[in-house]
Amino acid sequence: MSDTLNRERLLRAYRTMRTIREFEERVHTEFATGDIPGFVHLYAGEEASATGVCMHLRGDDYIASTHRGHGHCIAKGVDPVGMMAEIWGKSTGSCKGKGGSMHIADLSKGMLGANGIVGGGGPLICGTALAAKMKNDKTVGVCFFGDGASNQGTILEAMNLATVWSLPAIFVAENNGYAETTSSSWSVACDNIADRASAFGMPGVIVDGFDFFAVHEAAGEAVRRAREGGGPTLIEVKVSRYYGHFEGDQQTYRAAGEVQKLRDEKDCLLQFRRRVTADGDITDAELGTIDAEVLALIDDSVVRAKADPKPGPDDLLTDVYVSY
Amino acid sequence: MVKSGGITVGVIANPASGRDIRRLTAKASVFSMSEKANMVQRLLGPLGTFAVDRVLMMPDATGIAAAVLRAVQANEAQGRTVWPRVEFVTQELVGGAVDSQTAARLMQDAGAKLIVVLGGDGTHRVVAAAVPDMPLATLSTGTNNVFPDWREATVTGIATALYVTGSVGADIALQRNKRLCVQLGERTETALVDVCVTRLTHVGARAIWEPDTIAELYVAFAEPDAIGLSSIAAMFQLIARDEPRGAYLRCAPNGRQVLAAIAPGVLERIVVDHFENMVPGVTYPVRTKRGSIALDGEREIEFHHGQVPQISLMLNGPPTLNVTATLAAAVNSGVMVDPVVRSVVR
Repeated sequence: MSDTLNRERLLRAYRTMRTIREFEERVHTEFATGDIPGFVHLYAGEEASATGVCMHLRGDDYIASTHRGHGHCIAKGVDPVGMMAEIWGKSTGSCKGKGGSMHIADLSKGMLGANGIVGGGGPLICGTALAAKMKNDKTVGVCFFGDGASNQGTILEAMNLATVWSLPAIFVAENNGYAETTSSSWSVACDNIADRASAFGMPGVIVDGFDFFAVHEAAGEAVRRAREGGGPTLIEVKVSRYYGHFEGDQQTYRAAGEVQKLRDEKDCLLQFRRRVTADGDITDAELGTIDAEVLALIDDSVVRAKADPKPGPDDLLTDVYVSY
Repeated sequence: MVKSGGITVGVIANPASGRDIRRLTAKASVFSMSEKANMVQRLLGPLGTFAVDRVLMMPDATGIAAAVLRAVQANEAQGRTVWPRVEFVTQELVGGAVDSQTAARLMQDAGAKLIVVLGGDGTHRVVAAAVPDMPLATLSTGTNNVFPDWREATVTGIATALYVTGSVGADIALQRNKRLCVQLGERTETALVDVCVTRLTHVGARAIWEPDTIAELYVAFAEPDAIGLSSIAAMFQLIARDEPRGAYLRCAPNGRQVLAAIAPGVLERIVVDHFENMVPGVTYPVRTKRGSIALDGEREIEFHHGQVPQISLMLNGPPTLNVTATLAAAVNSGVMVDPVVRSVVR
């Protein structure tokens, strides 16, 4: 039977999703104060995707992320306190404050980085997956990308290469319906991103991205298949984002009430809570405790991020490939 | 949508069928949107030629309807074949099974005499639940189905036209199917082929592909050449689609083994310790204490301790078009020689 979701794993899944949500809701609020430098792209609404996939990964598996990378980071085990400091541009951040939201990386956690290049993750994952195959270390690589990136040559080339070399790679297309402000129904020539898989000779499946259990199960099969040498898989996660493309996006391209309806009816945390408490295995009180702990963690991360020092002039030439 | 549209046929092509996890866990076929649109076009020729006036289609946001619309315009421009007038029912799309159900009800209200369904077992199940007495012409979009015909749409189109125009009567053209009814509290669901009680507590990715997750199985019919869970029952006993009985079986480690093709390319060893015939109208309480219930192979219902789902076999399933019998009757009655058809006026 595929990875059984026992109590401990269910609670872990909830904590991860709740941490991502709290982190994103808080960045949303804080960004509005003008305190955060640069752009942020929030993952709120898509938590079940990163969580459902990354729960199958080991510490030494790699993921490549997107410009909307906070959720992938947290799900892969990157420290939210360091992430918050990074977003504030502080020297205590995951990348010492030099990357910001769009470049959070933590190689020690197998997180190759958020990525400002749309579709930039595909070739990176082919690289790690090729290394895994040559070393035969049974690790896998997961490339998260969006509906916009599904139209990029890099992703198409990477999927081709992954099949040709039979790489332990999983391509997770998080189709949140919009490439920046363009609806995917206008910009993706085929009707489902998953349909493209057959052209590359790999299985392509679609899952409901609001349903943690659906993502978890499909990803479990894809990861198992990749680890055992079965080759790559494309999973299209149909999902939506609760905020704009970036913070400040007025979202005039979305229908009135679109997001509220999703929050009320499909929200991954709402669904998850209802389903795991139905049989009394997990109580509302237990989930409430996690909510409180996560809130305290995120509060603390913001307090520290605000107080921590910025990188100084001496840091300018450290951690760079070429030092002049 | 007016009722006085002449002889009307509905067409529902489910955009979501053929994309589930079985493409990963089994070698189930991938059925593209453009192929579904092509199938609709292959229906339109015979329907028009054999004097169907109007086709009502379900709209969708994934490109099937758009492709059909382009094809209609191209056909009119070229003027080669007579197609029925194609109209799209007006509905708000919400992206789920409910879209097919809304479309089916609107087609019924607009006077459709039959609905052609392009999809899998699941699509047929939800359409049949929405319009229980509407005749359905069934077309499988993929290799992973039992209920619908795996057949060329052109031929289904001819048989459909022969029935809806009255050339072949309902007594010959239509066959009644059985259905399985699942009752859980206030909730009632229908399956057309099988109901599987699984040990998996969550609906998850819906499909069933691991034999040790199967606890109980209820089948409306069991054909040895079928793919999927009903084939397990068929390895013990054949049950025809028109026989007034079904089968119930339970899986446990100390029973008798069969090898069954539970998914395309997946031949699994299943251990069954109890097999009995299901009597129509009798309620069978589920014995498993907790798990999920799959309707025609897709997990849909989660149930918990203290809840006892009830399964029953009913003989009033949807009427479906028997393509072979319809065409044979038409040939025997002579209407296929020097047929009365519509042709393009040049």
